[in-house]
Amino acid sequence: MEVILEVNGERHSVVPSGRRLLAVLRDDLELLGTKLACGEGACGACAVLVDGRPVNACLLLAEAAVGHQIVTIEGLSVGRAHAVQEAFVAEDALQCGYCTPGQVVSATALLERTPAPTREQIHEAMAGNLCRCGAYPKIERAILRAAGSA
Amino acid sequence: MSRFVRTRTEMEGRYEDVWALVDESDDTESWAPDAALSLVGRPVPRQDGAARAAGRARFTVDVRLAGTLHAVVLRSPVAHGRVRSLDLDGARAVPGVRAVIGPDSELSLTTRSPLLRGEPGYAGAPVAVVAADTLEAAHAGVLALALDLEVLPHLVDVEEGLREQRFTADPTDEARGDAEVALAAAEVTVELSLETPGQLQTALEPHAAVASWEGERLTIWVSTQGMFAARDELARAFGLRKSDVRVLTEFVGGGFGAKQGAGFEALAAAELSRIAGRPVRLVNDRHGEQLDGGRRAASRQTVRLGASRDGTITAIDADAVIGMGQGGWMPPVLIPARTLYRCADVRALTFPVKTNLRAQNAFRAPGVMEGTTAFEQAIDELALALDMDPLELRRRNHTDIDQVSGSPYSSNQLLACYDRAAELAGWAARGELREPQPDGLLRGMGCASQIWWGGGGPPSHATVRLDSEGHATVMTGIQDIGTGTLTSAQIVAAEELGLPLAHVRALGGDTAPNVYGPIAGGSQTTPSVMPAVRSAAAKVRKTLLQLAGDVFEIAVGDLEVSDGRIRSRDGAIDVEVTEVTAKLGDATIDGSGSRGPNPGGFVVHTFGCQIAQVSVDAALGEVRVERVVAVHDVGRIVNPLTASSQVEGGVLQGVAFALTEELVVDPTTGIPVNAYLDDYKIPTIADTPEIVIDFPGIADENLPTTGTKGLGEPPIIPTAAAIANAFAHATGRRAVALPLTRDRVLEALA
Repeated sequence: MEVILEVNGERHSVVPSGRRLLAVLRDDLELLGTKLACGEGACGACAVLVDGRPVNACLLLAEAAVGHQIVTIEGLSVGRAHAVQEAFVAEDALQCGYCTPGQVVSATALLERTPAPTREQIHEAMAGNLCRCGAYPKIERAILRAAGSA
Repeated sequence: MSRFVRTRTEMEGRYEDVWALVDESDDTESWAPDAALSLVGRPVPRQDGAARAAGRARFTVDVRLAGTLHAVVLRSPVAHGRVRSLDLDGARAVPGVRAVIGPDSELSLTTRSPLLRGEPGYAGAPVAVVAADTLEAAHAGVLALALDLEVLPHLVDVEEGLREQRFTADPTDEARGDAEVALAAAEVTVELSLETPGQLQTALEPHAAVASWEGERLTIWVSTQGMFAARDELARAFGLRKSDVRVLTEFVGGGFGAKQGAGFEALAAAELSRIAGRPVRLVNDRHGEQLDGGRRAASRQTVRLGASRDGTITAIDADAVIGMGQGGWMPPVLIPARTLYRCADVRALTFPVKTNLRAQNAFRAPGVMEGTTAFEQAIDELALALDMDPLELRRRNHTDIDQVSGSPYSSNQLLACYDRAAELAGWAARGELREPQPDGLLRGMGCASQIWWGGGGPPSHATVRLDSEGHATVMTGIQDIGTGTLTSAQIVAAEELGLPLAHVRALGGDTAPNVYGPIAGGSQTTPSVMPAVRSAAAKVRKTLLQLAGDVFEIAVGDLEVSDGRIRSRDGAIDVEVTEVTAKLGDATIDGSGSRGPNPGGFVVHTFGCQIAQVSVDAALGEVRVERVVAVHDVGRIVNPLTASSQVEGGVLQGVAFALTEELVVDPTTGIPVNAYLDDYKIPTIADTPEIVIDFPGIADENLPTTGTKGLGEPPIIPTAAAIANAFAHATGRRAVALPLTRDRVLEALA
């Protein structure tokens, strides 16, 4: 059955067929920045914003996202999100880059609700985003830098 | 003029004599250790950072070709079995299924046979692969295979394998002098036995390949650290010319050693694509990746040391029992015992036990990391027995001579690393940590030393092309798996060309240009590729200045180029590079460079020291790493920004090896029970200690032209040992196995 998903401010007609939001984003809408890494909500590589909150798209049925505002990494290029991306590059808060879209999504959501986070708040908000390369010290610095520049 | 020279190359301690193509006319002089360089040595953000941060980086899993089929692997559910029945035709009858291969299928690939085994030797071993129009149809095809297996006896207990003498290769006995006699004569002796865990590489992008044929030409995207090895393997397997195989690997979502060459995924995808006549995409799911992506082998090591009262180590006797799984190259676990300190009487016995797990493979500093974890704890036990400061004991037994070959090291700043690490960590006051703490926790500080190869060598090539707009493109054979080596190539080229960074771009990740670079492993990319890049860029600079001489009718020797401007020494000429390059029209200035051999008579190694501070909650058994100081001697640092990232990443993987990561195998079934991301515990941001980093940064004058060594492996090597030593300092106890889970900690403290 066809449903309408609102992704990055645009309305898309899709057929979820019981699939997760991540599959629809990547396979139907070709929004390839959102990554699959574990498929069980353990790593955050697939994080997208649903009504401004970070959600693991690998666990969310696409149908459940109907009527909500979905923003993927591709929709994050202005304002605070842009500052986050610039800070990630400047601080080298990324290595292979595979987890980075999810990190940027989660960091943007954190700064939207907590514009000047403490180290502990960053750790709490970002603990669901795994980075196997170990960019964590610089992710923390990048978030503090983006907070300072906002 | 090009010449062949005979030289010795090294990859993770394996030496090979090869012919290397070198350019005799290359007169690029080494940068002096104190050379005033404008870009090299300054922090530079990655040239592709913005693409990665914006989600625009295209990994193998992101490749989308029209008509692509999706492949799903059927894996053995048991540790050892024999296929009784497998309904390939049943799978082929599933709507949407286009190709199916099993153990008995006739394949067009001719090597690595069999690709699929009818008698799988480990849980997760590929038994069949189905390619279909959709992932869902492929999964339906796998179900229709209706695999029926006879379960055969398995062995996953390494001690049992040792008793039964089940080895993947003959045990090795590497000795010099007589360790037994020296031990018997020693004034002080210690002995330590401990276990290190199996550790999964867990790259977040799993092994993946997308294959597409056009006639007898294969184009394939592979998530690999070694695109040229993949190309050669695929060409051999399918009987193709190398130039008819193009491997693309622009962005790789982590490797850590697990992604060597083509791998099963690329071979299977290419085979299925050939059968179906359509592109095929094969991406491991997470469980498949954790079962079959690779593993640092678990080990049980025993180290016996003898010393005189003054702290001189007189005997080293070490043995290692390694759980190899189904096979693979034997990791050099006892290299630290054999080489880290001066000692004439050494014996090292290694037993590679065959078990029903996947063949172990390379994981960042394979062998040396787990060997250091045991050996450096034994060194601390010796310090305790001697009542000597652990760093002082290490200093006393320092050597500038490779203990195996007898040759001097090309450079060695280990003593400077000790001093700097001690200063940064506050080592002198470590005793105060053991006084009662306000928060009730126990605290301690421990150190460990690091040795690794990392000198690089030929063959490695680069080409530089300067266009009429004054922009340069550097073509390399680099796979930048997250290390930042492409940005280092950009920096080195810009430095040599005298161009601004923004006008230079380094490319890699594609075999089509056929500009060879080594596999992204063994800490060899930077030391191998940077001299080749510099040499290519130097040729372009020379040509540019010659052309400038023509334009301005001035002797070439009176001209120089820097910051994108060409200047004469008398100041009369000071113009943008484009004043000259614009006259090229559509022509370009090209230069190619190659890596010369390392000089004979030296052995090239990297060194370092880490100091960890931990807290221990004796009631809960919880260990937290509070701070790690890491000082590594890897020669000249090209880009301190990405270099520090490498160190942070290595340290964090070492912290996890010490505290949380362990592949747990059910002995009853032989099946790994935590081959997922929710229960295989890699570190999170909340587990991250403060990491303090420094480098002596002194160029190795015996290495060609850039004085750089590799940095991929060094930072993971001493971390776990330093943490375990800090734990022992805090508690007075030593855990006999890592990781330091609460259970093990409480047992150690009981």
